[in-house]
Amino acid sequence: MSKKTTYSESIKEIENILAQLENDNLDVDTLTEKIQRAAELIKICKEKLLKTDSEIQKILDDMES
Amino acid sequence: MPIPSISLLELSLQVKESLKQSFSQAVWIRAEISELHEKYNDHAYVELIEKDPESDRIIAKAKATCWASTYRLLKPFFESTTGEYLSAGMKVLISCTVEFHEMYGFSLNIRDIDPTYTIGDLAKRKLEILRRLENEGVLSMNKNLAFPLLPQRIAIISSSSAAGYGDFLHQLTHSSNGFVFYTKLFPATMQGDGAQKSIIDALDKVFTCNEIFDVVVIIRGGGATADLHCFNSYELAAHCTQFPLPVLAGIGHLRDETVLDAVAHESLKTPTAVAEYLIEKINETYETLLNAQQQIVVLANRQLQNEKQKLIRILRQLLSGEKEFIYKQTLSLNAVLHQLKRLSEKQTKRNTTTLDGLSQKLQGKFHLYITYKKNTLALLEKEVELLTPQNLLKKGYSLTLKNGKIVRSVSQVKTGDQLITKLHEGEIESVAQ
Repeated sequence: MSKKTTYSESIKEIENILAQLENDNLDVDTLTEKIQRAAELIKICKEKLLKTDSEIQKILDDMES
Repeated sequence: MPIPSISLLELSLQVKESLKQSFSQAVWIRAEISELHEKYNDHAYVELIEKDPESDRIIAKAKATCWASTYRLLKPFFESTTGEYLSAGMKVLISCTVEFHEMYGFSLNIRDIDPTYTIGDLAKRKLEILRRLENEGVLSMNKNLAFPLLPQRIAIISSSSAAGYGDFLHQLTHSSNGFVFYTKLFPATMQGDGAQKSIIDALDKVFTCNEIFDVVVIIRGGGATADLHCFNSYELAAHCTQFPLPVLAGIGHLRDETVLDAVAHESLKTPTAVAEYLIEKINETYETLLNAQQQIVVLANRQLQNEKQKLIRILRQLLSGEKEFIYKQTLSLNAVLHQLKRLSEKQTKRNTTTLDGLSQKLQGKFHLYITYKKNTLALLEKEVELLTPQNLLKKGYSLTLKNGKIVRSVSQVKTGDQLITKLHEGEIESVAQ
């Protein structure tokens, strides 16, 4: 996933996967694929919430105010 | 002829006297404060004006004073009731006595102020500002912005020395539940005459780099007698409501909301409350995430379970199908076997019968054959017997030998050869001639 992907985009994708899990009869291969993708997205989202991104911090620190 | 006259002082004293008679008691008047200076032991020197409501032109003006002994009581009461400092631009209902001093002229002495009038006026003005914003179609612009799921990058407009700023940062860092926040202070003067411009300047600065922020917070320290004047200005409200990022206000007041509060995306009582709000928002986002995670696990399990059930069903079907198949196969095999057996039995029987017939026939034939052969042999034997030399001799034939060998031709015999002639009975010895 590129750095550009926003949190809300990730969440949207997660919700999409949820909807598919809820409605579709996915075959096992697709199911595995979807779950792996969801896990990946959730991990990225959690990191955004809980881990300081030094890049953002640096931009703000370097900025004149 | 000298014109009758009185001196300036006499006039002044007369004016003073007649005013005293006409205005023996304090009068309630409506006016607007155009200037206010606190001087010398907390006396207040005020300039009051009245404007023409149509043209906004000043149509009356008067000096007023409020002596420290009164002002010390009036000021805190007024400010705690209205939430505003007594300041220029404010409409007031004051009780005053009319004074005239021979040196300083006409002035009013303020004895009392009715804050409810000012509150009413402020409310009216706020309402006017809000109506104006509404007419311009911008009133709810900020409120209508989607609040970010992750309000992490925060542009703070505050005074670096403000207690509220410290409270805000403290709350964010100490009660964040581990959530990450990025803050950047855009310093501004938060009270006094320059506040409005200073805050608007700070907003403009944030605007130039708004893409690296999620929200703007406008905060300042609390206090019972906060000067909220600048937060009731049209200009600041217009800037805030049209700002591309959600604006959160935490300007620390306990009374009626200001125009800023009304247009801000979220309005909270204190900077600490703003920080709590942001943490709560992120927490909601986090819980949504955890929920989604849990749901995915549950649903995935359900799907897997379904899949498993399906497999089991198929397997069962297969198994029962196989059994049935085997059963059917066995049945038909049995039938075939049975038939085969029957057929083979029949065949065997038939064969046996045939064989029996054959062998009987064969036996019969063989017997005939043997008999025939026997007969033939007997005949042959007889014939052979008839042809033996003994039998031939017996029939009268004789046999001539020369030197023990059978003579078959005259040429074999020369004169004088001794010959033996064998007969059925006896021999004849002779000599050829």
